[in-house]
Amino acid sequence: MDVILAAVGDAFTWQALLAIVIGTWAGIIIGGLPGLGSVVGLTIFLPFTFGMDVITSMALLIGVYCGSVYGGSITAILINTPGTPQSAATTFDGYPMTQQGRVDEALGWATFASFFGGVLSCVLLIFCAPQLAKFAVNFGSIEVFALVCLAMLCIVGISRGSLLKGLVCGMMGFFFSMVGSDPITGADRFTFGTYALSSGLDLIPVVVGAFALSEVFVRFSSRDEEATTIPEARLRFPGLRDIGRRLIELVRGSFIGSFVGALPGTGAAAAAFISYAAAQKLSPRRANLGKGEPDGIIASESSNNAVTGSAFIPTLALGIPGDVVTAMMMGAMVIHGITPGVRLMQDQAQTVYALFVVLIIVNVAMLVLSKPSIGLFRYLFKLPLGFVMGGIVMFSFIGAVSVRGNPLDLVVAALTGILAYVLRRGGYPLAPLVIGMVLGPALESSLRRGLLISRGDFLSFFTHSGIATTLFVLIGLFLIWTVTAGVLEWRARAATRRKAASAQPVSE
Amino acid sequence: MKSLRYSLAALALIGTTHAAMAADNLEIIVPFAAGGATDIVARSFEPTFSQQLGVTSVVRNVAGASATVGTAEVANSEGNPNIIGYEPAGALSIQPSLKKLPYGPDSFTYICRTVSNPMFLMVSKSSDITSFKQLVEESQDQPFLYGSSGPGTLPHLAMAATVVNSDLKAEHVPYSGSGPAMNALAGNEIQIMADTETILENYDLRPLAVFADHRVEGYDDVPTIEELGLPALDFSVWQGVVAPKGISDERAKQYAEACKATVESDKFKTFADKAKANIAYLGPDDFKAFVQKRFEANKQVLEDAGLTQ
Repeated sequence: MDVILAAVGDAFTWQALLAIVIGTWAGIIIGGLPGLGSVVGLTIFLPFTFGMDVITSMALLIGVYCGSVYGGSITAILINTPGTPQSAATTFDGYPMTQQGRVDEALGWATFASFFGGVLSCVLLIFCAPQLAKFAVNFGSIEVFALVCLAMLCIVGISRGSLLKGLVCGMMGFFFSMVGSDPITGADRFTFGTYALSSGLDLIPVVVGAFALSEVFVRFSSRDEEATTIPEARLRFPGLRDIGRRLIELVRGSFIGSFVGALPGTGAAAAAFISYAAAQKLSPRRANLGKGEPDGIIASESSNNAVTGSAFIPTLALGIPGDVVTAMMMGAMVIHGITPGVRLMQDQAQTVYALFVVLIIVNVAMLVLSKPSIGLFRYLFKLPLGFVMGGIVMFSFIGAVSVRGNPLDLVVAALTGILAYVLRRGGYPLAPLVIGMVLGPALESSLRRGLLISRGDFLSFFTHSGIATTLFVLIGLFLIWTVTAGVLEWRARAATRRKAASAQPVSE
Repeated sequence: MKSLRYSLAALALIGTTHAAMAADNLEIIVPFAAGGATDIVARSFEPTFSQQLGVTSVVRNVAGASATVGTAEVANSEGNPNIIGYEPAGALSIQPSLKKLPYGPDSFTYICRTVSNPMFLMVSKSSDITSFKQLVEESQDQPFLYGSSGPGTLPHLAMAATVVNSDLKAEHVPYSGSGPAMNALAGNEIQIMADTETILENYDLRPLAVFADHRVEGYDDVPTIEELGLPALDFSVWQGVVAPKGISDERAKQYAEACKATVESDKFKTFADKAKANIAYLGPDDFKAFVQKRFEANKQVLEDAGLTQ
């Protein structure tokens, strides 16, 4: 108990609180600017932490991290351009709501869902970190392969409109992810002998091109009056009754995010897509999803912010960073002489508890700071559209190049932008392209590693472990369900068509 | 179309700012993303180093393709006195033998080696294997799997060399970093891993041997590979500073002196202690000879294990 009180004391110093406010606010703005995301934000702030004590520096970085994951939703809702890849799924319902003039409601739900997801995952982190970490260790390559297969199956349904067009874009994303070094042999693939391509295509430049740049192109080429105005950004929090009505959506999204975040090698973007797919199957209002339904925003935003808390589970409990962002946080801890690992919880209990407290304060700060941040975006977007779009292009390119410092990424962003514009004009959905790029590498390397481990025997995947078997059974059930439902629907439609045909003879 | 003109004007303005900013700063290229193990050491090295040189310096992370993209950028800046690279072992001594790169070990002016940590051959503490001999025996029925932080990395090479030179039967499974490999080791997906003291201390691992020519302080009961009857295998994770070719001798001397002073400074020593980085300074000539030697040795391992192109 003394340790916990001392930890709360550590977190409530003025330095730490100031760091939280600055970090969270800057994080929201950085996340909101297309192209600049969590990684860029952390890169900017990492050098500042060298002179701070450990809690203050972690407070700053956690603020930037959580803030940026939330901030991405603002531009996703306002201008159909996710500020970060994590918020790509928020555009599905966020932008339609904006078009319907419900921007205040959409931003309110995004803010509240982010807060809810963040806090719930903190609670899980505090009470179940060791157990969850132990469970996550059981997720070896074969289990991850089964999970990714399941996720991909669910996500196929996300693409609106033509399934074929969705698949085409998904495969394109998958193919993009294969350019560069082979994860198992290290040989170069699809580089056409150019050395510059051997580092592969990074996710950020592709996302920036696919969403931000293509949006700019669409707006400039459109003669539609609506495309040249951006609605005024306002924020209205949902009432208690509305929250109660959608509580189950909030909880489901947060749990999915917490679970996916604790697994190695997945991350917030994948969590948001998986959660959205779950809402599509389970939400009572699923018929409206994709047409401006708050449940879609909740699914995406509660889960991507839940990842922020649970991503610390493997980092703190095992010293294994789940993604690039937590790897950077771990680096910051090492600088201050704290090495995450199996003994961290015992040796540095006070620091760990202080981090938990900081995480919760950051989420509260995010809720408080949402209003002034959105206010800032309101002023930004009041500028003539040309400046806004010019700014988006600028930040997109800065973001694209600053992740790896590789000039090739500018070319990648520009070419993806042009490709995405053509695809959008042809009615192809872009989300599957991003999903393919996010899940493709996980699918490929887990399959190939799994084959190395089982010594080339694919059949033994199904019986490898209880978790793997369960997941494969779920995949089987899902397939049977989808096919049966499809056949039934087809029959019902055929029946009504027959009825219509017999009642009303064809006139031609 | 008016808005298009606005935005083009805004973009043109922004384009000019870069030209105004480009000054004579020293650029320190780190070929990994910010926050990684190499980056942390580089960023602790940078303040004292630039102070010694009396210049302003900027750390720039140029990541990708096993650190070769950033390294190539240093090599391609021939004659530029304002750029250096803070390089990991793999990019200088392994990658040039693995694939076609725009640089080789001769493409640099070598400044200094900063830190070097020997690698250990380790198994999980939960396994009942306590010696290398036992490991070899138990591998005869069913080969073990060893992990690495990626194909062509030092952990991979160290184990590949061990397998070639002993009766140990083990196959390679690469991961995307030491962290994921540790996750796999904890879940018994793999059984063996070679890595440094930092990894050994932070996870529940048991060292069976050390890839060095003498036993390591603090691990006095861990035998060297040579003591186990294998040829001497020396695998360490080291870092160093290189500059492009074609810089003046005077500039190279300035770099070398600044590097020596930095590595010997209290500030860097305190950091190295905390981060468990073992300071192992080598001057320009020694460092050059060292890299050349490691390059040849690694090339031999890669050829023996059938990994070269």
